[in-house]
Amino acid sequence: MKIIDKLITWSLLKSPWILHFNSGACNGCDIEIVDALTPKYDVERFGMLLKATPRHADVLVVSGPITRQQAKRLRTIYDQMPEPKFVMAIGACGCSGGVFDGCYGVVPGSLSSVLPVSVYIPGCPVRPEAIIDGVVKMIQSVEAASK
Amino acid sequence: MSKITVPFGPQHPALKEPENFMLVLEGEQITEAGINLGYNHRGMEKAAENRTYIQNLYLIERVCGICSHSHTTTYITNVEELAKCETPKRALAIRTLFAELERVHSHLLWLGVAGYEMGFETLFMYTWRDREQVLDCLELLSGNRVHYSINTLGGVRRDISAEQKAGVIKRIDYLVERTNYYIKLALEEPTVAARTANVGKLPLEVAIERNAVGPTARASGLARDVRKDEPYLIYNELDFKVITHNTNDVFGRLVVRALELVESYKMIKQILNNLPEGPIAVKVNMRIAPGECVNHYEAPRGEDIHYLKSNGTDKPERLKVRAPTLANLQSVQYMLEGGWLADVPLVIAAIDPCMSCTDRAVVWDPKKGKKQVYGWEELRKMSIEQYKRRGVDFSKLS
Amino acid sequence: MSEFEKEEKIKADLEKKFQAANAQVQRKARVWAEIEPAKLPEAMAWLKAEGYNHLATVTGFDEGENLGAWYHVTDTHLIVNLKVKTPRANPVLPSVLKTFPGALSYERELEDMLGIKVEGLPPGRRYPLDEDFPKDEYPLRKDWKVEEYIAKNPLFKPEAK
Repeated sequence: MKIIDKLITWSLLKSPWILHFNSGACNGCDIEIVDALTPKYDVERFGMLLKATPRHADVLVVSGPITRQQAKRLRTIYDQMPEPKFVMAIGACGCSGGVFDGCYGVVPGSLSSVLPVSVYIPGCPVRPEAIIDGVVKMIQSVEAASK
Repeated sequence: MSKITVPFGPQHPALKEPENFMLVLEGEQITEAGINLGYNHRGMEKAAENRTYIQNLYLIERVCGICSHSHTTTYITNVEELAKCETPKRALAIRTLFAELERVHSHLLWLGVAGYEMGFETLFMYTWRDREQVLDCLELLSGNRVHYSINTLGGVRRDISAEQKAGVIKRIDYLVERTNYYIKLALEEPTVAARTANVGKLPLEVAIERNAVGPTARASGLARDVRKDEPYLIYNELDFKVITHNTNDVFGRLVVRALELVESYKMIKQILNNLPEGPIAVKVNMRIAPGECVNHYEAPRGEDIHYLKSNGTDKPERLKVRAPTLANLQSVQYMLEGGWLADVPLVIAAIDPCMSCTDRAVVWDPKKGKKQVYGWEELRKMSIEQYKRRGVDFSKLS
Repeated sequence: MSEFEKEEKIKADLEKKFQAANAQVQRKARVWAEIEPAKLPEAMAWLKAEGYNHLATVTGFDEGENLGAWYHVTDTHLIVNLKVKTPRANPVLPSVLKTFPGALSYERELEDMLGIKVEGLPPGRRYPLDEDFPKDEYPLRKDWKVEEYIAKNPLFKPEAK
């Protein structure tokens, strides 16, 4: 691996920055994601920061069943993120549509029909521990792949 | 003035949800505000017609994660009324307990969000850390921190044991102490007052005219609370006050929610210490006789109203849900007009929008002929900076 | 029954002043009645003057031959539910915005979801459906099937990079 790639991978492993995107979610998963930042779970100690712009983010965290209107925007935000980038589908809605599967407002097949997903985290809503676990597993797989 | 097309689409990275506000500026002041709604429309009312009454419980719960119990309880009250079943007293008491626990978690969440929008991040961390106590209570009683699914047709699904009751009371006692600190902060801290006083004014006549509900209305002196106006569940047996304030602004909304927390703690203890004996559910036939009914409920954000029509089968004919934030949006338009751009994030956050809306504000200065799109984060940072220049700085607070 | 005095009075007034049909006191604090669409604005103004100044919501419905809406008005102690019907072939209802400015979102919803034209609504963006949704499809109508819509609008295909 070139030095620059090693550096990028190292910084990703040490400190993955997250961009959170809410696509039609009921807010259950969103408050658990924000909960992960608060003192009890405190993901900042792992270097995870919530960022406001896709240009700074390593990981796109998507919650909610993907509503049709949001699908286009989601794709664009994903395209704006610099490589290497990962996508996490949060909650039952992100994995498969959850209770909204079959509603006319959502994209059939949920997130995986819009973006390439790296990690699926089930739960309704997701527990903050599960989010941390998901990010850790993702980092471990990046580490393994880079060796 | 040259015409500029506003890029509405995917190019804006800060875009999170489809709701946006169109603000017309004169200098820094907003002369006109237009609300363009387009919520996370998923098609739930239509979906509800294809699911049985029990399946709908889990669907309706997910209208909103923060006030999920409000929606299921209103829904199931409607179904039980149509089914003409006698829900046992103990079940009603447990539902009320969850309702008040939900109000506590929601108001603490809001206090944190308001702090964050003001720039007072320590308050955000404190309130959300304390909120974990409530989530622990909810998990202890129902098995989940969010979406407790405690309701079922005819009653509730889980009972409360003596150990659980002791666990809840212990945590509530801790919260009572912490809330006294927040109330002191809200009422006495000048930095908080500087950010919230006279911001987002909503006079009483306008609140009535535009059908405002919940703490937004109560901060304008409108004493409307479904728990007292038309008591449901076991509220007619509980001793509590309806909190109103008369400053008509964000400060009032802050005070109302902080004091409502105290009332909720009182109610939770009353319920736990006087739980009626008896079964927690009765058996109800899944096929509900044809009929119509309407019921409302005081959710943490205001009046939540559901209409239900049954047709003799085990699926509803028509289900209508009107969540409280929708009723408050017309008032937000009034509050924004005549205000300052720097106040926009706080004014919108003050109605406690149940869906994280307004991630984009389109700001138009007609004199300069300039149209600019602000993302929520940008607006928020800008408003904190503007207030810092006026001397309102939360970083000096502990 | 003197227990339902307030409810009985409202029911009688609605019948006398607005020729309300099928009026009933369903239970405590619930009165249901049906009136002609043309009388709707007047009835709403009268109710507001009587103290029922909170329009809680408007529920549109599809009854086959007729479309229509329930207007749920309250003084917070008693809910009056007013039904108006309009023929499916040409569904039109008058707006109640003059009396209840807060009704804007509810009336837009009637137009979007059921295709009922509300006369007197100011121009504006549709609600709650998004701009891309076809303008002649009305999801809440009974003959509109979700499966058919999804079949016509299959999996979202992102533009090839």
